[in-house]
Amino acid sequence: MRYELLVVGRGGQGVLLLGRILGLAAAKYCNLYVTSCESYAAETRGGDSRVDLILASSEDELDYIKVRGADIALFLHPNSLAKFSNLLKDRSKVFIDSSFPIQSLGIRNVELIKAPYTKLAEKELKNVRVANMVALGHLVGTLKILTQESIERAIDDLVSTEWRDLNKKAFKLGVRITNDEH
Amino acid sequence: MKVEYLTGNYAIAEGAMTAGLKFYAGYPITPSSEIFEYLAKELPKVGGIVVQFEDEIASINAIIGASWAGVKAMTATSGPGFSLMLEGLSLAIMIETPLVIAYVMRTGPSTGIATKSGQYDVMQVRWGAHGNYEIVAYAPWSVQEAYDLTIKSFNVSELLRIPVILLSDATLVHLWERVVMKGPGEVVIVDRKKPKVPKDMYKPYEPDEDLVPPMACFGEGYRVLVESLTHDERGYYKTTNEVQRKLVWRLVNKVRKNKHLVVDSASYFVDDAEYVIVAYGTTARSVYALVKELRSKGVRIGLFRPKSLWPIDDDALVKACSKAKKVFVVENNVGVYVNEVCRFLKNKDVISIPVIDLDIPSPEDILNVMREWL
Repeated sequence: MRYELLVVGRGGQGVLLLGRILGLAAAKYCNLYVTSCESYAAETRGGDSRVDLILASSEDELDYIKVRGADIALFLHPNSLAKFSNLLKDRSKVFIDSSFPIQSLGIRNVELIKAPYTKLAEKELKNVRVANMVALGHLVGTLKILTQESIERAIDDLVSTEWRDLNKKAFKLGVRITNDEH
Repeated sequence: MKVEYLTGNYAIAEGAMTAGLKFYAGYPITPSSEIFEYLAKELPKVGGIVVQFEDEIASINAIIGASWAGVKAMTATSGPGFSLMLEGLSLAIMIETPLVIAYVMRTGPSTGIATKSGQYDVMQVRWGAHGNYEIVAYAPWSVQEAYDLTIKSFNVSELLRIPVILLSDATLVHLWERVVMKGPGEVVIVDRKKPKVPKDMYKPYEPDEDLVPPMACFGEGYRVLVESLTHDERGYYKTTNEVQRKLVWRLVNKVRKNKHLVVDSASYFVDDAEYVIVAYGTTARSVYALVKELRSKGVRIGLFRPKSLWPIDDDALVKACSKAKKVFVVENNVGVYVNEVCRFLKNKDVISIPVIDLDIPSPEDILNVMREWL
């Protein structure tokens, strides 16, 4: 088992925290091999933040550290879609925050999965900053590679006590999107 | 055993603590600073000390002093800082001081692009300090290996009373990966050997059969002379050919003759390989992906990966390349380590594949340069 996962957003949207939670949950609580590299931008200056994450069931399956053909991609802001479309492949599962207007993807044969993460976070939790956790919930709930419990434990490890409950609520809200779809 | 999710920098810091680090001195420099930051928080919890000095010159001299006071000591730096440490490195070699330098490579020359990665400094590590000596340097390719080879660096430094360099790069130290960390008793930890002779009989530079002198430290009751000038076994300055020859050859030979305890490497798909790629550190990750892809298309290609860059595991290299028609050496620099590979493969067609990339050369970029020879 080997998955290449690409997470992209703008500086300040919480892409790096989302990537860390995914990686930690996979490595520490799901007994998977993980390699993850980050590049990031500042919220005030704009630009893309990006996490490349490769999950594998054996160490031997890890080699090149970057995503070359994403099995799964999550775009927290659709602005960067065109720029990263070369990293997608046929039948990539592409999650997009539909709170923002979505431009044409310029690539066919991908499986588009849209949900309004930012709007949901604003409406249900009165805080757009946890839109990343809503997206994470949708991703984890849909893919079923990692358990929900492993993600909640990773949130406990990484998020300060003050924000822990809000992040978990947002994550569960995201998982419910999946359940509502079925 | 404990599973964690760490960056390369954190894994190096954790590996050092597993090995028994008790003193860290440094001057912060990108991309190595998180080693310092992490240890400043964690090392005091296990009874260690972390000090920021005014520069890298003071830092290396501080860890030399700490090592002579009897504790395991390290520093971390990058290219510009290592340049400043070279005089101290030569001193550590001469006075046979166990210590570890975590060297995180970034681009150069000079300040280059401070946050970006490369493998430019593999020859500086080997030849940068003055005088004649053998250096030991390890190049990890994963976060797990950063942890494991840091422990090995400490062990070899203690075993042979030498400075050892853990040579990584900006890409590796910021990579997040799963690491299995070892608890007490789960990994071999080597401590420097102590004198067995009566205190009045001790000579600080008198070697055992393995060419390594037992090390008495300050405050243990032995007469300890720390002499950077050419010295005899008592540590007295001497200006004769006889003493110079004996000392320099012993410093060199204690590494050469104990090479089997130092060298480390890994080979992949080499048994029937017509082509072998030699690559080290993060670049070997890209090469491994490329080799697997070419194998799946029927190309008989393999990978030889030196974990110890200095000295190279030459027996394993020669064996891995025994059936190869062509040997490629892929590096994220202008092609420098290729000369070391050539030294051991005199009758082989060895081709340098230099691919400069600010992060890590991609398998596609490597293949594009290699293609004309395949």
